[in-house]
Amino acid sequence: MFALSLSRLLLQALPKKPVTPRATAQCIRSLTTSQEESLKKDDMPTKMENPFKSPPKTCILCNITVDFKNVQLLSQFISPHTGRIYGRHITGLCGRKQKEVSKAIKKARSMGFMSVTLKDPQFIKDPDICGIKHFE
Amino acid sequence: MPRYELCVILKAMQRPETAAVLRRTVETLLARGAVVRSLESLGERRLPYKISKHDSRHTHGGYFSVDFHASPRIVSELLDHLERDIDVLRPTVLKKDPERLQALCCGAQAERAHTATSR
Repeated sequence: MFALSLSRLLLQALPKKPVTPRATAQCIRSLTTSQEESLKKDDMPTKMENPFKSPPKTCILCNITVDFKNVQLLSQFISPHTGRIYGRHITGLCGRKQKEVSKAIKKARSMGFMSVTLKDPQFIKDPDICGIKHFE
Repeated sequence: MPRYELCVILKAMQRPETAAVLRRTVETLLARGAVVRSLESLGERRLPYKISKHDSRHTHGGYFSVDFHASPRIVSELLDHLERDIDVLRPTVLKKDPERLQALCCGAQAERAHTATSR
């Protein structure tokens, strides 16, 4: 008897009609409120260009044509005491430009445009690009 | 026809004489079938070093540049002719490269690569 009543209680406790949950996307969406939805959308990161991007590394002569006739420009890359061409570690130029400058200086020297052993006196006061400190 | 540039240093002379030298230089060019594009004066200045030529030492000279199109055969003949000219101190013929699409310099190249990868 006792057992029967317990089972009857259990039967009564159980829902009479079985509820089959139809878990579709639409249903789930309707569960969340519209406010929550808008919050979620604002939370997503917006696509933008990297604001912390550093500017492209360029050498001083980037996009400047190096000519053997431009003796003033070439004289900025030679020593004022000996007229020797400065190395890459002093001028700070990229590989291509250093080669161009070096070739132009040698060409100018052989053609009689630029001196070999000294820097033209009128170009000595030019701004210092290379930043080399001579022994004093 | 390939394009050449003749950079010539003339002896420091009076204007009519310089004009005469330039005239006969250009005439030799034209006689050998060159097409002269332009003749520019780069000024009369002090030479960077003393040049000994034709039994005399020179300290000043006039710089001139002649741009022309010519057959490669005449270049050696032209240089030979100019070496014998008394008023010419230093003739040089250079080949002018055609202006092809210049490879981008370091900065521009890096930028292009970056934009390509980001896309």
